[in-house]
Amino acid sequence: MFKKIALAFAFSPRMEALLAETRRIVETFDSELYLIHVGQKTDEAEQKITLAMQTNGLSKQSTTLIWKEGKPVRMILEACRENDVDLLVTGALKKEGFLTYYLGSVARKIIRKSHCSVMTLIDPQVKPSKFSKVVINGTQLTITPMVIERGIQFCQKVNTEQVHILNEIKMYGLQMGTAGEDSEEEIANTRRQLVQNEMDYVKNILDNIPHEDLKVNIKVTGGKWAIELAKFCEKIEADLLIVGDGKRLNFFDRIFPHDLEELLSTLPCNLLLIKR
Amino acid sequence: METLNHKEVINLLLQLAVMLIMARVFAEVARKFKQPAVVGEILAGIIIGPTILGNFFPGIQEYLFASHSMANIALDGFVQIAVVLLLFIAGLEVELQVVWNQGKNALKIAVASMALPIIAGFVVAFAFPEFLGVNINDRIVASTFFGLAISITALAVVARILMDLDLFKTNTGLLIIASAMIVDILGWIVFSVILSLSESGQEGLGVLPTIGLTLLFTFFMLTLGKGIINKTLPWVNKKLAWPGGLLSLSLAICFLAASFTESIGIHAIFGAFIIGVAFGDSEHLTEKAKEILHQFINNIFAPIFFVSIGLKVNFIESFDLGIVGVVVIVGFLTKYFGAYLGGRFAGIKRAESVMVGFGMSTRGSMDIILGLIALENGLITESLFIGLVILALLSSISSGPLMALARKRS
Repeated sequence: MFKKIALAFAFSPRMEALLAETRRIVETFDSELYLIHVGQKTDEAEQKITLAMQTNGLSKQSTTLIWKEGKPVRMILEACRENDVDLLVTGALKKEGFLTYYLGSVARKIIRKSHCSVMTLIDPQVKPSKFSKVVINGTQLTITPMVIERGIQFCQKVNTEQVHILNEIKMYGLQMGTAGEDSEEEIANTRRQLVQNEMDYVKNILDNIPHEDLKVNIKVTGGKWAIELAKFCEKIEADLLIVGDGKRLNFFDRIFPHDLEELLSTLPCNLLLIKR
Repeated sequence: METLNHKEVINLLLQLAVMLIMARVFAEVARKFKQPAVVGEILAGIIIGPTILGNFFPGIQEYLFASHSMANIALDGFVQIAVVLLLFIAGLEVELQVVWNQGKNALKIAVASMALPIIAGFVVAFAFPEFLGVNINDRIVASTFFGLAISITALAVVARILMDLDLFKTNTGLLIIASAMIVDILGWIVFSVILSLSESGQEGLGVLPTIGLTLLFTFFMLTLGKGIINKTLPWVNKKLAWPGGLLSLSLAICFLAASFTESIGIHAIFGAFIIGVAFGDSEHLTEKAKEILHQFINNIFAPIFFVSIGLKVNFIESFDLGIVGVVVIVGFLTKYFGAYLGGRFAGIKRAESVMVGFGMSTRGSMDIILGLIALENGLITESLFIGLVILALLSSISSGPLMALARKRS
């Protein structure tokens, strides 16, 4: 699924934990590992990373170290493109400060601009815990069938205990508001039908994906999908949220947040953003 | 504080009861024929107004709606509140997320579907003001008002049609919904600008300050205003009675915004609309709360407003076939072709563009409010207003079947 995995790292207190988390993912997917650092290649820096690699059992032979100088986001993404990386792992803060959010932190910028899939870890651990509870975005978008398929494959690989696929009824308030002209029975039928349609949408996708080894729960909500996903992840204390991304986000999307951008101001849990 | 006397209270209560009962009866009849409730409610107003009841039973009509001036003033207050709340609900219906998702295509359709009717409406009204019945002394403003009134799409009505046709969630359906939302936003901004032109020589702030304030107010409400609402709503939902606290406070804020825009020279309804958009876009306004607000306003205040239209105008006395014919033909053709061309321009297939054209031609809400404001401001005559109401009725009735036909052919 992910043949080449890269970790963008800085010499921060979380570097060890990020390396440990990335190593686990690399082992799970039997991938090649690329470590990308944007900064001067000094002896001291090399020593630090060599030590960190040794601590985490990463050999120099199986790991490619990439040193870049320049603007962090641009250089990280350039390195990913040059090496055909499938998955880029980064660390990120759960919540951005007001100004940082609008200006854009490195992690958020990577999520917005990356061409490959991105896994953002908000609380990486030196002893990584499992992705036991995973939530997949099942809202009706053109990329959703692909996101569910790859999300299920990911969950099978990491032995997830419970998968939740969350779908939402678009403009539920407007639809039920206009249905308010009907009788009580008709309104109840409309409500039932709206829920059933969304359940069927996910079920139809799942029918084409082998997932017998997983416990999959389909849940339907009403509201904006990104916000509903965030609320649900926090409620069940999910370990990972898997979403897709169809388009690149810009500054304008931060002024009038919508879709994925609504998740980025406060990440509810670790995030796996799947790109085509 | 002056109060209504015993007889005026009875009269006011009777007025409201008759309006609500007749609205409900005719909304149900409309429903039987698979027509939107608004069609029945407007017909109910025509029946209990001077057109039918006043003609055949003038005594009853006079007792109900013309015997107590104070009760009538109180009823007018109800109608004003109803209009403000209708605009609030119209704002709530706008989902910016849907608009962003549909992006440029929706914008192209919305702009084209508005530009053609506005230009054509303006040209026709400006060229033949006396025939059509627009105020010759305020010719430019009145003509633009007419153009704008025939350029509006009724979002709630088209949403219902799309649901009935099972097209709501299709690409075409969402495109129509998003385009109708953009039409609403653009329509009310253009409306406040036109209104400022009308008042520029009088008591208003002048054209440029009003346009500036309109845009500033819109931007503020959709960014910082929305942020404040986002911070406040969780507290309201958690600490106050639900949905009582939410209902009373959201309506109070709606009235505050409406009074603010009225005081700075933009019409009150613009404030209600924009605050509705800001509320509707808040992540903490649950869909359940939206549904309650919808039903509360749509079933109590909307009927009062739509019935009141029939009370204000005699649809037989002021009926002019020539005016109605021109309004219906110009209104329907320009809106349809505007939306159709917008669709084609956006790269949408011919068959889908035809559906978009018919969908966007749905009227029966904001256009009538615009027409009524123009009538009350002396910009248009009763005959032209009747033309606008009939255009709204005909396009509401015909849009569903026409869309179904277009889908069958595609």
